[in-house]
Amino acid sequence: MKIVIASGKGGVGKSMLTSALALLFSKEKKIVACDCDVDAPNLGLWLGITEYDIIEKISTSEKAFIDKKKCVGCEKCKEVCPTGAIEIKENGEVKINHLLCEGCGVCQLVCPKGAIKIKAVKNGEIRINTTKYNFPLISGKLYPGESGSGKIVEELKRKAEEFKYEIAIFDSPAGIGCPVIASVRGSDFAILITEPTPSGFSDLNRILEIVNHFQIPYGIVINKWDINPMLSRKIEKWSKEKFLGKISYDKKVIDCIVNLKPITKSDSKVVNEINRIFDNFRDVLEKEIK
Amino acid sequence: MQIIASTGVKGGVGKSTFAILLAFKMLKQKKKVILCDCDVECPNDYLILNQKLKNSKPVFQEFPVLNEKKCKKCGLCSKVCRNHAIFWVKGEYPKFIPDLCAGCGACWIFCPYGAIEKRKVVVGKSFVNEIRDNFWLITGKSEAGVSETGPIVKEVKKRAIELGKKVNADYLIIDTAPGAHCNVIQALLNSDKVYAVTEPTPLGAYDLGVILELTKKLNLPTEIVLNKANLGNRKEIEEIARKFNSKISVEIPYSEELIRAYCTGNLEKMVKLI
Repeated sequence: MKIVIASGKGGVGKSMLTSALALLFSKEKKIVACDCDVDAPNLGLWLGITEYDIIEKISTSEKAFIDKKKCVGCEKCKEVCPTGAIEIKENGEVKINHLLCEGCGVCQLVCPKGAIKIKAVKNGEIRINTTKYNFPLISGKLYPGESGSGKIVEELKRKAEEFKYEIAIFDSPAGIGCPVIASVRGSDFAILITEPTPSGFSDLNRILEIVNHFQIPYGIVINKWDINPMLSRKIEKWSKEKFLGKISYDKKVIDCIVNLKPITKSDSKVVNEINRIFDNFRDVLEKEIK
Repeated sequence: MQIIASTGVKGGVGKSTFAILLAFKMLKQKKKVILCDCDVECPNDYLILNQKLKNSKPVFQEFPVLNEKKCKKCGLCSKVCRNHAIFWVKGEYPKFIPDLCAGCGACWIFCPYGAIEKRKVVVGKSFVNEIRDNFWLITGKSEAGVSETGPIVKEVKKRAIELGKKVNADYLIIDTAPGAHCNVIQALLNSDKVYAVTEPTPLGAYDLGVILELTKKLNLPTEIVLNKANLGNRKEIEEIARKFNSKISVEIPYSEELIRAYCTGNLEKMVKLI
């Protein structure tokens, strides 16, 4: 069973909820947790992890490299580059901006002198930890300025398959683009978390378009419901039978993350609220399986 | 026109709030301001400003389509495609796999028979709202299911810069998406100044390190905006600021009034916070 936690909007509590659900599931099932946010891998911090046991560098991206000795400055590459990554310096030298290059290889193919080569670059890493709670955490990192985040997510999910699990839980990044699509695709259930602000509600609708596109069953959680009870009630009503529960805003949650203490070990009132969401979620899963 | 970006790897730290407060601050100083929401996957500035999106313009990307009458089934297109988006079996027409296609154009450039044509596909939209005198909002919005959103950001920014030139704006404020990959890079490029918004938690600290590393690579001068500055623990933030030779130049305290103003579209009265 693969479960993804997503939201569209950032900072609404994806990693917090993922860590809590992972801890609760791990008491009764064999699980693996996977942090699919390779730009901002923060799930580890919610599980008290600041250092990584195993790190594998990976390459899911290619870039064009120019051999200045062979280049005659005809600028054909610049004309065809679809991302505008090829610049001509004042002295006529051709420069490839790797921040924009996506390695499509069109430049290599048009170069009459064979001066351009496409090479794989190490654009990120995969990290594996065994948490204190006896389940593995797989996370990744896209190196700043590199491309290919969605493909790193796919690698992470492949890595997760190497572990025997009953429940795999994926923490999606914010947004609805390439790494989010890679996180959500193939999941059996999505938990969509939001906050009762116009932005949170709008972004919930955005991520819902992706989840519906892949026809993934889902449930909805409202975090910090009490910052705007009126909108919270509206979202709850709108969610109908998809509503899994709501979590209060409590500054003790911030204390937890500052002290790297898992949320479930806190004396905050959100612990009971999350437990209720967990119970509701298990009931929904049972129905889904039937 | 000076281009100023509000960014941050972590979501929900106040990028949009800061961008909008900054816009109001400049308006108060009688400047002409364009705010450009480059979080095209989840644009929210228009909601926070109580606007309905107006003046829609499509953003296109080109994808290949086969003209079977011209195709000689040579298979060269499938060989030049590095995204493995063209499937070809000897003696058959090539098949394009849209999910894998990046629209790079290798196939239509190299087809010896001119059998691959370009098909324009709407991948997003840009909007212009004239909010009041001297204040415009440009919004980008990707079509749901579009994976590569960097090119949309590029087009939306282009529209903002064109408008800026036309109206002779003093400032263009760019509000980026969270994260640090292509859509954020496109939004940050060519900024004169970047504000990295973060919060005083280990999450905020880690993510601040990522964005500062990115803006260093992009060679963009960056200062730090510390939101919820009176909560959590700022020591780590200060350490990272030192490491990257940056500084905390704006502090926004945690304020329930600010949250209410955010929810109800009344941020203007909170401009005193920055």
